[in-house]
Amino acid sequence: MSTHAGLHAAEAEAEEFDHNDPRLTRFDLVKEGARRDGVEIVHYAPRFPVPGTRREARIVRTVSGMFLLSGLFATAFVVAYIWWPWKYEAGSNLNKLYTPILGLTLGLSLALLGFGIIAWGKKLLPEEIAVQDRHDGASPADEKKLTGDTMLNMVDELGIKRRPLLAKAALLGMLPLGAVAVAPLIGGLIKNPHKPDILFHTGWDPALNSGKPIAVTRDDGTKIRPEDVSVGGQMTVFPGIYDPDTHEFVGASNDHADSPTLLIHLRNDDADVLRANLSHVPINEHNTWGNFVAYSKICTHAGCPASLYEQQTNRLLCPCHQSQFNILDNARPIFGPATRRLPMLPLTVGQDGFFYAKSDYQVPVGPGFWERP
Amino acid sequence: MIAALALVGTVYAAFTPSAPASGEPAPSSDAAAGKALFNTSCITCHGANGQGVDGRGPSLLGVGSAAVEFQVNTGRMPAVRPEAQAEQKQPAFDEKQAQQLGAYVESLGGGPQVPAGDDFHSGANIAQGGDLFRVNCSSCHAFGAGGGALSSGKFAPTLANASDRTIYAAMLSGPQNMPVFGDNQLSPQEKRDVIAYIQNLKSDTSPGGLSIGKVGPVAEGLVIFLVGIVVLLFATLWIAGKS
Repeated sequence: MSTHAGLHAAEAEAEEFDHNDPRLTRFDLVKEGARRDGVEIVHYAPRFPVPGTRREARIVRTVSGMFLLSGLFATAFVVAYIWWPWKYEAGSNLNKLYTPILGLTLGLSLALLGFGIIAWGKKLLPEEIAVQDRHDGASPADEKKLTGDTMLNMVDELGIKRRPLLAKAALLGMLPLGAVAVAPLIGGLIKNPHKPDILFHTGWDPALNSGKPIAVTRDDGTKIRPEDVSVGGQMTVFPGIYDPDTHEFVGASNDHADSPTLLIHLRNDDADVLRANLSHVPINEHNTWGNFVAYSKICTHAGCPASLYEQQTNRLLCPCHQSQFNILDNARPIFGPATRRLPMLPLTVGQDGFFYAKSDYQVPVGPGFWERP
Repeated sequence: MIAALALVGTVYAAFTPSAPASGEPAPSSDAAAGKALFNTSCITCHGANGQGVDGRGPSLLGVGSAAVEFQVNTGRMPAVRPEAQAEQKQPAFDEKQAQQLGAYVESLGGGPQVPAGDDFHSGANIAQGGDLFRVNCSSCHAFGAGGGALSSGKFAPTLANASDRTIYAAMLSGPQNMPVFGDNQLSPQEKRDVIAYIQNLKSDTSPGGLSIGKVGPVAEGLVIFLVGIVVLLFATLWIAGKS
């Protein structure tokens, strides 16, 4: 429609064009075909008018060579794929070259095929300059009028004005169908995010251990004594909870991926600084035990493990976006995109000499959400 | 009575000389030589008896010979200036001298020592070591032990050139900003497993070809992006160019 004017011009010329004229060459027909599509070939010349020159022969040899080499590399790929040793063996051996060999042979094969085709097009095909008219932007006024009336006619044909019941029935029938479309969206909004309240509870919740404090354990479920963590050392710890049915240790499983915690044994001087800072923080004032402190390992920015512990500068770093937390100041974020402190796990040592969590975290762990931006 | 006194005297005479030897060993010749080295090279920052000098250097009481071995043999000590991350450079002392320094520091306040031997990786459990490495080490030293950045220009170094003893000493002593992994936390056998894993990583060639320092996906992505884009750029120039 948009090439309306151009087509008219082409049609006018086409009327004078007799495609059965025996004097016409094949190229004349090609040119005419392009013209009817609005493309004018203004320059067309073969690159090698005299056949059999040395330059032409050289280019033909080069392009053929590329195709043949491409085939050779493709064959090498298949051969390597089937016979090259590929099983993992430690050390330096041929097996380690399996992936690079596959990549190299297939890559070279495809690249040579591509180079061959492009070289063919660039060096051997005739030089050609063709001009195509730019299409007009909008449809002409009469075209718009005709299309508009066609559509109005469709409405008339449906006869909605004469048969109003049809329109009402269709509308009423469609309404519940529309409800089907929006039900999943609205249904998701109706769900109560606090039941179960997973964003506010972690694996350290005593409710998971019939109300008793949860033991602080290693990733294999063994409990930890204070002397197990060296001064200036840290340990990643998990809640010591067990599956009620299978009695398997699940504290380090994905079900409690929000629970990993960093247990840090501070130097005495550093611990004094922390205690002084915590004296202004009622909820965490009594949450350290001796010189030990435990912070959530989940970064409050995007949930990465913020476990790069610098024992001299007493910082915790998150490797993802370089957030830094000051361990001695209630894990205040001091650099990077994190805006909230790392939550502190209330720590104590039980009668049996092992570490326990006094309660769950007092603030939600991990990145912000709708209620905790 | 006289006989009893004589007996007591004889017994006393017999035990007296050995009493200091069993309670507090006399400085060995190594420790004496170490003290001489200490007094010329370390005393400025660490004080006359290794008690540390405020604002210059920390106390060495209780750090043990493991810390000395790590810091001196990797050239980090003597440091150019007091700072959180001492630079690794050509060691100023040979291993014998480092051992003497270690013996002297050990005599000051005790502390962890690296067990004898140079080979801690043979026969250890590489798979178990890999587990421990990923839990304890990979957050800073990266999964391929290529090292990584810390805060304010500090960094966790690559483990590519670390010997078994160096790694063992580092775990025991927690040099610079590295946390301490005492024997209660990682048992000597677990330390050997970790070392075996690291040495296996180093002796194993990368199946993907170039490992780019094993520092992780960022470096790999950057190289692929830069090299790939440049190649594609020249390819498009060639395709579109007039011949």
